[in-house]
This record gives sequence, C-alpha cells and structure tokens, in this order.
Amino acid sequence: MAQEILTERLVPFRWPADWTDPGLMRLVAGSTINCLLLDGGAEANRPIAAAAQKAGLVVRERTSLAPAPLAKVDWSSPAPIAVTELVWPRIAATRGDATQAGPTGAPWIDSNCWVARLARVRAPGKAIWLEFAPPKDEVAPGESAYQVAIADSAAAGARWIVSLHDDASKGLRTGDSGAQKTWQSILTALAFFEKRRGWASYDPSGVLGVLSTFAGDQEFMGMEVLNLAARRNLQYRILERGAGANQKLAGLKAILYLDGERPSTALKAALAGFCRGGGLLIAPEPLAVDFPGETPLACPVAGYKLQTFGKGKIAIATRDWDDPYFLAADTHSLVGRRNDPVLMYNAQSLWQHYSTAPSGRGSLLQLVGFTGRANTTVSVRFSQVSGFAMMYVPEAQTPTRLEPEKVDGRPEFHLPAFTSYAALEVQA
Amino acid sequence: MNDRRHTQGCLTRRNLLAGAGCAALGGGLSRLVQAAEAPTAPVALARCESYGAELLPALTKMFDQLGGLGRLVRGKTVAIKVNLTGGPTSRLGYTPIGCTTWTHPKVIGATLHLMGRAGAKRIRLLESPWKSAEPVEEHMAAAGWDPAEFTSAAPKVEFENTNFLGYGKKYFRFNVPNGGHLFPAFDLNHSYEECDTFVSIGKMKEHLTAGVTLSMKTCFGITPCTIYGDGAGEDEPGVLPQGGRYPIHTGYRAVSKSAPQEIDPKSPREGGYRVPRCVADLVAARPVHLAIIDGIESQTSGEGINRNTKHVTPRVLVAGTNTVCVDAVGAAVMGFDPTADRGVAPFENCDSTLRLAEQLGVGTRDLKRIEVIGSRIGEVVFDFRKAGGGITPAVPTWDRPGGRGR
Repeated sequence: MAQEILTERLVPFRWPADWTDPGLMRLVAGSTINCLLLDGGAEANRPIAAAAQKAGLVVRERTSLAPAPLAKVDWSSPAPIAVTELVWPRIAATRGDATQAGPTGAPWIDSNCWVARLARVRAPGKAIWLEFAPPKDEVAPGESAYQVAIADSAAAGARWIVSLHDDASKGLRTGDSGAQKTWQSILTALAFFEKRRGWASYDPSGVLGVLSTFAGDQEFMGMEVLNLAARRNLQYRILERGAGANQKLAGLKAILYLDGERPSTALKAALAGFCRGGGLLIAPEPLAVDFPGETPLACPVAGYKLQTFGKGKIAIATRDWDDPYFLAADTHSLVGRRNDPVLMYNAQSLWQHYSTAPSGRGSLLQLVGFTGRANTTVSVRFSQVSGFAMMYVPEAQTPTRLEPEKVDGRPEFHLPAFTSYAALEVQA
Repeated sequence: MNDRRHTQGCLTRRNLLAGAGCAALGGGLSRLVQAAEAPTAPVALARCESYGAELLPALTKMFDQLGGLGRLVRGKTVAIKVNLTGGPTSRLGYTPIGCTTWTHPKVIGATLHLMGRAGAKRIRLLESPWKSAEPVEEHMAAAGWDPAEFTSAAPKVEFENTNFLGYGKKYFRFNVPNGGHLFPAFDLNHSYEECDTFVSIGKMKEHLTAGVTLSMKTCFGITPCTIYGDGAGEDEPGVLPQGGRYPIHTGYRAVSKSAPQEIDPKSPREGGYRVPRCVADLVAARPVHLAIIDGIESQTSGEGINRNTKHVTPRVLVAGTNTVCVDAVGAAVMGFDPTADRGVAPFENCDSTLRLAEQLGVGTRDLKRIEVIGSRIGEVVFDFRKAGGGITPAVPTWDRPGGRGR
C-alpha cells in the first residue's frame, strides 16, 4: 500500500541523454520532480542514479515501465501505466492531408486529454503517465508550450513525463538564461498541479456516455469520437462495452453506442432500462433490431430515425457512421446544448474539463489554452452554479475570487486574461 | 426538381415587362430595368433606444405604418431568414452576439409575437449556420439563446437549417427574372418554396465583401452549401454541408452540376464582384415580402472582430415591403449614399448590391422615390465610419482571386 501511494505521488522527469554531469542534479533537487526516468543501461547511469538517490529522488529505468501505445498497454501491470505514441499538444499545422482548420473553421488541436481519460477508465486508481516529447526537428517550444504539455495531461488526471527539447537540455547544461527561465516555468507549473493533486480524483462530469470497446475495429472511430467530442467541449463519460452492465449510468441523459456489434443480453437490458427511464440512446443501424422504437418523432438532426422508447428515446442512424467529426456534431445536437453544463464565449482554442468533487458539493472547470497567447474576454456560464468562483492559474500563488456578471439577464463569469491554463472552482 | 418563378407585390410581372424594353446585355443578363422604373414601396423608420420594453411598441407601430402585418401573414405560412452568421460563441469583448453581428433575439421574438397575433398560420425561422447541418435551435443554444422563447412567442413556430435538404425531400429551383447577373437560377431548400410570405430580418452592419449587410445580404445564406459550398458534390448535391460558400465568393470551383451553373465562367473571380451579384440575383429569384433591419445595436468594421471593431448603438429599426428600398434607407441611416457604387463608401472594394438589385427590377435605391414613414433619416442617422474611426474595411484575403476559404 505504501508503495502504491508513493507511486501515485511520483512526478517523472526523463533525464536528458546529454546530461552526463551528475552535478546537473541541482536543477532537479528540491523541486516538485521526484522521479528520474533513465534511458540506457544501469552501468552507464550509475553516477546519475547515485546523485539522484542522494538528492532523495526515485530512479527508474524507463524500460521498466513497459511504456506502450494505448492499444498495447497492459492495464493490469503495476502502476504507473505509461502510454506512448502520443502527440505534442498544440494547435496543429496539419493533420494528415487535411488542412489546418476543421470543418467548423476552428483550428485543429492536438491533445492527449482523451487518452488520459480512457486510460483512467481502464486502469482506475492507477497513476497514468503520458510519454511525449517536443518535436525534434522544430523550433524549441517556449514556456507556454511546456505549460500546455503539463496542463493538457494534468487536467485529465494524468502526468506528463517531462521531456525536454534538445535545445532546452543543452541550454540548461550550459547555463543559458533563457533555458533556465523556461525550466523554472516548468517547475512552477508542476508544483501548481501537484499542490492540487486532489483535483485528479474528481469525476468527469457530463450527461453523455460514450460506449464502445475502443479497440479492434472500433478503435479508430471510438478514439476519434472521444477526441472530437472533447474538441467541441461536449462533456462525456467513457463507458467500456467490455465492462458490461455494471457501469454507472446515473446522471446520464444520453448514451452513444458506437459499435456495430450488438450488446450482450445484460448490457442490452441495462440500455433498455436506461431508455425506458427517460434516457436517449444513439446507436448505429445494426442495433435497430435490439431497440425497436415505439412512436416515430421528428428528428432535427439529419441521418437519424428518432422514436420513443418508454419515457425515453432511441435515435438510430440511417447512414453509416464514417466520419467521426460529423458523429460528434450529430451527437451534440441530439443530446442538446441545453444540457451542456458549461457555456463559454471567446474560447475557440480552449479545451474544457468539467468535473465534480467526490463529495458532489463542488465542481471544477479546467481550461487549457493552446495558442500560447493570452486568452482575453473569455466568459463562462454554468448551468447550475450561482454565487462566486475561485480562479486559479499557475502563475499566481493565490486564487482570484470572481463574482458573476449579468449578461442578457444570465449570470456568467468574466475571466481575467490567462494563457495556458486556468481553473474555476465553484459550488454546485 | 420544381421550377418556379416567384412574383410579389414589389416585383410583379408588369415590372418585368417594363424591364423588357431595356437594353440587352452580354452574358445571361437579358434585360436591365431602368432605375426610374424600379418599383418602390414605403419604408418605416423608427428610433428605438434598446431591446427592452420599447421594442414591441416600436415594431407594432412600424408594421401598422406599412399597412399592418395581417395582410402579409394572416392564414399564411411565413418563412423568416434571420442573420446568425459566424461562430455563436464569438463575442466582441463581453457583448452578446445579438448586440453586434446577429439579429437580436428580442427583435426575432417580437416579430414572431406580432405575426402570431396577426394570424400567421405557421412561421419557420430559417438560417444556414456556418459550415454546418446542425439544427438552427442548437446553433442558437450554442450562443446561449433559449429557442423556447421563440416557440412560445407565436403558435406553430418551427426551425430549419437550410444549408442542406433539411426536412425536405428535394431542392426547389428559383429562376432569376431577367436572367440574373451571376446565376440564372438557384436550387434552394424547400422552406423557401413552401411559404406564402418570405421575411428577411437583417442586421445593420458593414460587410467586408459586400459593403453593407442589411436585409438583402442576409439572403446570401439561403444558398445551401451542399450545392454552393466548398464541399458540395460535383454532380449532385452533397448530403451534408461542408465548407463555406467560396465557390460563390471566388468561383474557384463550380457549384454542383445538378444546379444551374454561373452565367459567365470567365467573369471576375473576386468576392467584391461576385457576392453582390449573387445577392441581387437571390432577392430577385426569391423575393422578400417584408424586410426588417435590426439597427438598435451593432458593430463597426464588418462581421469579423479586429482592432477597429467597435460596439455601436445606432438605436434604429427599419422595415418595409421592398428589400431594396429598405436597404437604401438603411444605408443612408448608416451614413452612406445608397446610390454610391464601386470605389465610394461603403463599396470601396465591391459593386453595389443595391444597384444590381435595382437593375433586376427588385426595387429602387433612389431615396427621392422612397416614402419614409415615421422618423426622418436625418433624425436617426448614425455614421458607421465615424464611429469606427474612419477605417475602411480591408478586402479579406479569402475574397481575392484564387481564395478558397479560410
């Protein structure tokens, strides 16, 4: 148990290969970083490992973590779970052959948050470490880019294995002042999130459940829908089809059943019960046989047959789901924005993470900004919050109390400018 | 494909015959209506301080000044095109989008209420949200609006996204009288056909491509992107809209072959030439029976947000049954000469939609021929350029030849 707690508290840093001088341990000693990941053999690393241990740091061979891409992770392995082949979080220049902007005109954003959320579902309670590094052949990232890397992981309850660009590691090794400033901002951001590690135990809040195996034939569509739903700030909870009928459906208003394969008998019964109780099930055409609707309804979203089912509804797709972008958009419309717990303005490049305290008495809205520029005039409207909010940013020691402003007769919070990350703590 | 030619009070067969004597032009534009022969209709103009309690009485009085809503809507199906262009969560500072670029929800709600009271049988709120097939009510909800405020304002209020087939089974063809400037005809969503009265509620604002928006430019969005969009099908309409309307803006690709093609593929490929012509063609093909301009609050420098953009409060409403006459008065209220053309504000970078629509016989832009009821223009004029620091909106890069959208 003690070992497990210790693992949960580890803050990992991938020791740069060109840092052969044990004296560089001074950069890490006494900081929030308390775990070094070393590449190479034990013999080669002996001086570094010795210095680290002397500084009170935990040392791990990177390979001992068995880091693997999401699809190949052994979820039963001891914590921490290390996931690889991830993206450097940022506004993407290109995505495959696609253009910079998505069909909405909003910029494409590379983020790992949905990976972290899926990993937390697959390995509940275990520390999730995300391994990605700044692109080698590009200009070295600045302070805000590193802060985004930390925040994108932390906001989803995971930790980034801090990995430096070659220019940064060289700069730190040679005493470059710019590199040192960047390093200090990294440490500040890490300290901010570790001080508020309790937020990682908050439950993702949303009225939509996304149900799939997220594996095999369903891997692409499942993962892209998670990614694109998050991009449009559609709040969801992940439901694994393999977990069967025992998953918590309370609080959901809709379930998106992604897979073409029909559900097990028990899961079918659970889903039918969910709908008869007033929920909405969105499913592909092959599931029509399992959920024969009752009375046809006008469907405002093209490509679906909407019918009553008890007190709830069934929306069966009449076209193949071949584009996850449209599926995420359709789902948002079918669920209805009136059910969005949070509405934000001037926040096109922000990702939101809305979660609820285990006690149920407080909510947390975390915002990750990807542009590297100040986010000004962002305003937030909560559906079920009144009173004040406390706003946290990594650059400030203490939170700022925000009072609601009335706009169009409705209360909303006007956020002071922030760049990479902000969190609003509110009482539900 | 149904093929209809619409006529209405302000654009009658007699008007069209009057234009028959005009000189024939090259391309597809067979006849131009002389300016003196373009129809006219009264325009109601009113000061309205805010979207509060004074709005409903102001609109009520204006509609009465125009002869009452009853003659336009009683027992009829009404289609209302509103202006909800751009991202619903984009704001100028903290100012709600209804106070800057979108038609304000209170103006829509008050109009619905008055139409319901005047006996409208059914009212459809229509818009083609940017690059999207999402329901109009969801687009509104994304801005923080409550669509229930509209459905409760009058009996049988419906919504439809006309960016694609929507609830319809087929597109309907609308021919442009006199041949058209850019297109001879358009294929549009069924809601533009299945209505007895068509209403445009525009916003009083400048426009980067067309100079001004007002009530006519609001109708640019009646074109479905499944046919006129970047991702339109090559031969047949796409199933869902993808991309913007840059095939119209810059003509970099043809519209779906199932629809009438542009008259002259060798015409200029710049937005300032093409968009005003397309808008004029549209309001000729799908006549507007009632045009309303929300000028109570707005912003300067077009519909985007840049350093010159300022929230402004002209505090004015304009309405009438002839969309060109209404826009002529609206342009004058904004401090512009409605008879101005390319090179003169607000048309520094484009041709005048007002002139082009006038040439199609839709209505006159000559203020001397327009009866203005209520306030006088001089009493309510609000100079947008002065308010905006005298800045001339620049031509957006995406409207230059070769532009393929943002």
